[in-house]
Amino acid sequence: MLSPYGLDIIESCLACKMRADHIFCDLPTAALQSFEQIKYATAYPKGAVLFVEGQAPRGIFVLCKGRVKLSICSTDGKTLILKIAEAGEVLGLSASVSGKPYELTAETIDPCQINFVKREDFLRFLRDHSDACLRVAEQLSEKYNTACREIRSLGLSHSAAEKLAKLLIEWSNRNGESAKAEPRLKLALTHEEIAQMIGTSRETVTRLFAELKKRQIVQSKGSTLVIRNKAALKALATV
Amino acid sequence: MESSSQPSCFNCTFRPDRIFCDMPTEALQAFDAVKSQVTCEKGAVLFAEGRPSRGIYVLCDGRAKLSICSENGKRLMLRIAGPGEVLGLGASMSGTPYEVTAELLDQSQVVFVRRKDLLKFLRDHRDACMMVVQMLSQDLHAAYERVRSIGLTRTRRPRLIRPRVAS
Repeated sequence: MLSPYGLDIIESCLACKMRADHIFCDLPTAALQSFEQIKYATAYPKGAVLFVEGQAPRGIFVLCKGRVKLSICSTDGKTLILKIAEAGEVLGLSASVSGKPYELTAETIDPCQINFVKREDFLRFLRDHSDACLRVAEQLSEKYNTACREIRSLGLSHSAAEKLAKLLIEWSNRNGESAKAEPRLKLALTHEEIAQMIGTSRETVTRLFAELKKRQIVQSKGSTLVIRNKAALKALATV
Repeated sequence: MESSSQPSCFNCTFRPDRIFCDMPTEALQAFDAVKSQVTCEKGAVLFAEGRPSRGIYVLCDGRAKLSICSENGKRLMLRIAGPGEVLGLGASMSGTPYEVTAELLDQSQVVFVRRKDLLKFLRDHRDACMMVVQMLSQDLHAAYERVRSIGLTRTRRPRLIRPRVAS
């Protein structure tokens, strides 16, 4: 099949090879078959908005491939990025379950393949399949965990430097690089987006990076960031 | 401080008002079998942030303070949980460490259910499972509200004070 946006579209969940790695998707065959009937496989370009904060919930979006930016917005237009969702995550879940408006805005940052399920269909599906229901509970608690971490970092950190150091350490941990003496990480976000993740301005992020480089704590090679001095970065994070 | 006789949830007068407790008879029977009820003193810590999750705590009466802590010991109050609320649910469902600390503000009756028993109970009772999903989404909503109020308010003045509209 000729696929849009260079994506390799997988039409059927039953034949999906990535399924085993995704918590939500790895359902028993019976549940998967009925999921297959209610889902719509779609592809989105980069920069598409899946749903907007405050909108009535239409349903859930299962992210098969690509990354999605989840953000909240204040009335005066300031944006805070909560998380970059990766493949296997289910978006719009809590709003669809509770029937309250979407609490976040979801925007794709890569071309994405997404399975959409309408709210009524999804609720019926959950009622019929208790396994899926438990998976959903698990996904929700994971999101709750992230939200608590975000509250901790925003509410209990003194300075932007502390928050940036924490973010860099978290990213290097996620890549499994933390054991190395000089962990590397790919900066997939712009300074603007990093600023929105830690709740500060773009200028501050640029200034902080320049400072870190000057003090030889980090070094950048293209979009790759090498942490030269792990101890110093950790010290910054726990001021 | 486990009381010798285990009061049954069937005799509970609060039950019809509580979202979680108002289960069908069959589910309630199963729940009665796996729960253990204890009386805890004021100031008791039900669970602490970062500790491995053992199970859930249902507050029968009394209130509990939920807070999170930074590495250097600064504490941030999240909210006060009231009677009928289920605490430690998220961590127990995913098997991750507790994400908050829960401390009792009053002397309270608390029902404890071990994680293993809870998962089995939920697998057998779909209604209860849906209920848990609902409660988790409510927790999540509250957490996002909190992120918004902390993260998007730039002013250092007390956050409750809003600028007055010029008359």
